[in-house]
Amino acid sequence: MDNEFELVRQIRRGDAAACTALIQAHHRFLVAMATPLVGPALADDVAQETWLKAFAAIGEFQGRSRLRTWLARIALNEARALLRRSRREVSLDCDQPDGMPPLAGRFTAEGAWARPPMDWHHDTPEALLTEAELLECIRKHLFRLPDAQRAVVLMRELGGLEFAEMAAATGLSEGNVRVLLHRARQRMHAMLEHFEEQGTC
Amino acid sequence: MLSCKQVTGLGSDLIDRQLTLRAHMALLAHLGLCSRCRRYVRQLRLTSRTLQALAMEDEPASAEILARVRKRQPDPRPR
Repeated sequence: MDNEFELVRQIRRGDAAACTALIQAHHRFLVAMATPLVGPALADDVAQETWLKAFAAIGEFQGRSRLRTWLARIALNEARALLRRSRREVSLDCDQPDGMPPLAGRFTAEGAWARPPMDWHHDTPEALLTEAELLECIRKHLFRLPDAQRAVVLMRELGGLEFAEMAAATGLSEGNVRVLLHRARQRMHAMLEHFEEQGTC
Repeated sequence: MLSCKQVTGLGSDLIDRQLTLRAHMALLAHLGLCSRCRRYVRQLRLTSRTLQALAMEDEPASAEILARVRKRQPDPRPR
């Protein structure tokens, strides 16, 4: 957070390197978050407009949220404005094939664990994310999630947005958003579990 | 009493504090007795926190993007 304040101070002074660093840190996230909402062709435009608005309004950033959350909110507004201009609606496909449920076959008929989770070698995000191979694996699986699941996981976990904001942005109920988020988390958990147990992606 | 399978289905609602008081109590009662479900919920929470901390850098394009943004708005400094 302190680093973010320093970065924001430099951007307010018009420091080009700081602006580049901010874009470098968050552009891919903004495009990835916008893609399921507006489609791949327009997601770049959403990110572009977001930067335009963000640099113009950086003086208003008060640090009450993370920078990534502040940017995500701007991007959702831009996505909505862009859809309105092109007279389109968000078309999140929630029924995209999802494969086997991540915990299929893990329970007895009575619902008790048949194959319970094992202890992991890593027990903090920092420990998990310093493993280069694992980091690559997480990113890969994130992009393999069905669109609707990827949209909510990017908005909630990476973007830090509230359920009401996510529901408004996707046109889904908060209940549906929560279901999608849980499925996505379970799928990412299964990926981490596989890595912890087998040592491979 | 909730089954382990039901508990795993409620993991995210616990993490996001979206449970009703009654469901929350039922879940805590199960977790108090079941180390396997405690481990699952702990791992699901770790999965969530890991995603929160995940960076998505994108080096090569950033200078070009800034150039495009600046072309449309020459001075990013607040007036």
